Amino acid sequence: MKSNAEVIVIGGGIIGNAAAYYLVKRGLSVIVLEGSDFIGNGGSSRNGGGVRQSGRDVRELPLVMYGIKNLWPTLSQELETDCEYHQDGNLRLGKNEKHKEILTKLATNAQSCGLDVRMIDAKEVKSINPYLSDEVTCASWCPTDGHANPLTTTLGYYKMARRLGVRFISGERVKELRMVKGRVRKVICESGDVFEGENILVAAGYDSRAILGTVGVDIPMTRSLLECLVTEAEPHMFDQMLGTAEADFYGHQTKHGSFVFGGSSGFEACNKDNGTPISSSKTAPCICRGIMKYFPDLADAKIVRTWAGWSDKCADGVAVVGAIDEVPGLYTSCAMSGHGFGIGPAAGHQLAQLIATGTTDVDLSTLRYDRFKAKI
Amino acid sequence: MNSVNDRSRDIGPFVPAPDDDMLICRCEEITKGEIRQAVHDGMWTITEIRRYLRAGMGLCQGQTCSRLVKGIVARELGVSPAEIEPATSRVPMRPIQMRVFANEAKED
Amino acid sequence: MKRYDLIIVGAGPSGLSAAIEAAKRGLEVVVFDENEKPGGQLFKQIHKFFGSKEHRAKTRGFVIGKQLLDEAAAAGVIVVLNATVIGLYQDKEVVVKIKDNIRHYKADAVVIATGAAENMVTFKGWTLPGVIGAGAAQTLMNLHGVLPGKKVLMLGSGNVGLVVSFQLLQCGCEVVALVDAAPRVGGYGVHAAKVARTGVPFYLSHTIVEAEGDEWVTGVTIAQIDDKFNFIEGTEKHFDVDTICLAVGLSPMSQLLKMAGAKMEDNPKKGGQVPVCDEYGRTSIPGVFVAGDVSGIEEASSAMIEGRMAGVVAAEYLGFIDTESMDTELKEMEKALDGLRQGMFAPKNRGKSIDKTEEGIDISVNLLKRGFVADDEIERYPGVTHKKGVHPVIECTQNIPCNPCQDACPKKCISIGSNITSLPIVVKDSECINCGMCVASCSGQAIFLVDEDCGDGTATVTLPYEFLPLPKEGEKGIALGRDGNEVCKAEVVSVKSAKAFDKTNLLTMRVPKEYAMKARFFKVSK
Repeated sequence: MKSNAEVIVIGGGIIGNAAAYYLVKRGLSVIVLEGSDFIGNGGSSRNGGGVRQSGRDVRELPLVMYGIKNLWPTLSQELETDCEYHQDGNLRLGKNEKHKEILTKLATNAQSCGLDVRMIDAKEVKSINPYLSDEVTCASWCPTDGHANPLTTTLGYYKMARRLGVRFISGERVKELRMVKGRVRKVICESGDVFEGENILVAAGYDSRAILGTVGVDIPMTRSLLECLVTEAEPHMFDQMLGTAEADFYGHQTKHGSFVFGGSSGFEACNKDNGTPISSSKTAPCICRGIMKYFPDLADAKIVRTWAGWSDKCADGVAVVGAIDEVPGLYTSCAMSGHGFGIGPAAGHQLAQLIATGTTDVDLSTLRYDRFKAKI
Repeated sequence: MNSVNDRSRDIGPFVPAPDDDMLICRCEEITKGEIRQAVHDGMWTITEIRRYLRAGMGLCQGQTCSRLVKGIVARELGVSPAEIEPATSRVPMRPIQMRVFANEAKED
Repeated sequence: MKRYDLIIVGAGPSGLSAAIEAAKRGLEVVVFDENEKPGGQLFKQIHKFFGSKEHRAKTRGFVIGKQLLDEAAAAGVIVVLNATVIGLYQDKEVVVKIKDNIRHYKADAVVIATGAAENMVTFKGWTLPGVIGAGAAQTLMNLHGVLPGKKVLMLGSGNVGLVVSFQLLQCGCEVVALVDAAPRVGGYGVHAAKVARTGVPFYLSHTIVEAEGDEWVTGVTIAQIDDKFNFIEGTEKHFDVDTICLAVGLSPMSQLLKMAGAKMEDNPKKGGQVPVCDEYGRTSIPGVFVAGDVSGIEEASSAMIEGRMAGVVAAEYLGFIDTESMDTELKEMEKALDGLRQGMFAPKNRGKSIDKTEEGIDISVNLLKRGFVADDEIERYPGVTHKKGVHPVIECTQNIPCNPCQDACPKKCISIGSNITSLPIVVKDSECINCGMCVASCSGQAIFLVDEDCGDGTATVTLPYEFLPLPKEGEKGIALGRDGNEVCKAEVVSVKSAKAFDKTNLLTMRVPKEYAMKARFFKVSK
């Protein structure tokens, strides 16, 4: 079996799989190395499925908007997989003046980038989603936002990339990258396997930091636990993506009828790791309380599963996507800061274009790896 | 590298079978044929099958079907069922209403 | 957060046993169980258990359940019912759903004793209402007093399939067939024999082709299979049934351990996914122990010993006893466990085809293929002897760890010796006084008292009888052979129901003397 390819992708999540798919479509040979035993095992399967522009930092917006305009609408057909993409808007909910202030600031920033997002009052919120608690007094509303199924989308990219000839290897943890004559080339794995690529894309979540570190590149990031829960199937209620000003929870109702929510308890940055992505005993109850404050009707919905995983949080909360100029042949998309799913297809698409042609449709300069400067 | 990790290994084409319409996961109503097809789409682990099809992700969380799914996947891949890593178990062990999960008792 | 010395999940035989041993040694112990009744499967077990005294042999399962609960209460164990453990988190935090709350508890040690769940097999129509697990049928009958159906087909000839078939018969159901894909009966021969002699046909090397019915089960078709599990055309048989019971094995319910990050293994010999653990139940997480079916499918008797071991090991882990006394106690328990793990059905012999007894006697082919020892095979076993007057006929033909019969006889007519798996023999020149204690003591219902020649051309056969209503003295009926076929007319001489027999009634029937060694069951004439 060949261990050489034009591109070695490290990380079989949504970004790695999407990049592999767009690369192989452009005729490049690709090998994807996934460290865990399962494809799509990091943040790609541990998120609320948001495909959002609102609430994003302006630096990320062009890339997100590119995906929502050009990729998401036709993704299910392209991947021959039901990605369950819904573009029915995003409501970010608030209950008081403080919330309103937070939401208004986010909305104003996004408007400056040309995004259709605006503040709406209690009455309009209710008309969009009649199931909300009467305590909701305001929301930001972005009609072009939506949600999709992160599991089938990630695996759909995998399925199609694999079908087109991308070689995927799971359980292959990368130990280090090695330079050959001034260009990154070798990928050495913990198993002892060695792969060689003319280009290497590191899209391995928090593990990217250690992998990039082996060629002297450091991206300032920490990790934080993401926890999700899913209910049994319920009758259809609404199609919007939801969030709150204080990020108590976020989520949506899926095509299947279940509600998928993510959320936090406040301890996410310092959860203990015992080697398995175990959920915390505090978080799910907290998410439930958060949801019930906004959706009293869901109190009797049964939760069938909770799950958690680590997300890679960038020091400035914004993703790092693009070429690492100082190491020829090296590319990354990491430190996604919890935004990786919605951005994933666009990031994969633009990286594939960058690797294949040296150019991108979207200006990625605001997401550079070397943007980090001391505060004074 | 074990036989499940190299996702390019040739497992032959998908051949329809007469019992493909038999329900395997009763909670989510997933058939044997869907599971077999998913294996040919590259879903070689129970975890991926669950994420791709929802098999074993319903009310019983695979208590009834995981053994059956495992057998089908193993057969399709031509490996022993013991080589297929079972899916991860998650809280809650039994379905629990949101209002109960939310309701943490005070210290007793 | 409330912290216990020991939290046990599951109040079945192993969990309660662990709780008793730990509490006796001074640990503060709480047991959580999701069911409204404690005892796990014990309260469904209305049959007498096998083993020796130390294994509580010849005691019915539900009685053992009561004994364990009494012992637990006496030792100060807190048993919390309707308490579902929904998660085992890091740092031995146990989250429990009780009523409308969830509660967080910490423990210095945890014993997971969650038992097992029933396996399913698929066939056309397997999701129709009426296809149920054999254990579910047992729950309906023995816990809730609900008849699972009227006409039942049982798939699976392991002990569960055999025992539940017998219980279905006791409840008044018709068991139309006992079917197994394997070529040989999987469970104890004595369990098979007591089902077969009531007239239930066994179909080995057969399995279900289809469960029929539009909205629920109305019938079933089985067919013979070849050694590659393919149906053999033309061998189909149809039965009208309303219920199909599946007794096709159990899988450990080990999810809590996997959730907590314990090292797991997939071990077909243990029934599926189990935690990696040592012989005393120590898992890869220090302070987390396992006992019973969750660590490998066996049966209740061994689960109780495993539970006791886990309780002792937990006591030592938390410093309530020293290592030396733990070792001493474990040695004793190991001996008891080892005793249970002997004989033809020992875990080490699983999958092996054994053709001879330890004594070198050929195993009955009919017993393995059809569920009963044929008339021309029975004479080869040492418990089957002939003499004048009433004497025991012990139709125990396989080496299983069980010996209550040798202590039951006040005249020492029956001997097994020190090797618990040996076939019982009738002691030469011993004098039977027709007390019936041996008949009632045999958990396998395999002992009969026979007077082969009463001098008037008749013989009497006393058999264990656990059906209601009890026939009356003088009642006429049919004697059935070991194979369940009618052999002759019979008349009830007496029905004895002494307290010492523990609900096993002794039915004595009179038959023509040529049928003394053939007639083994009494069927009431309709």
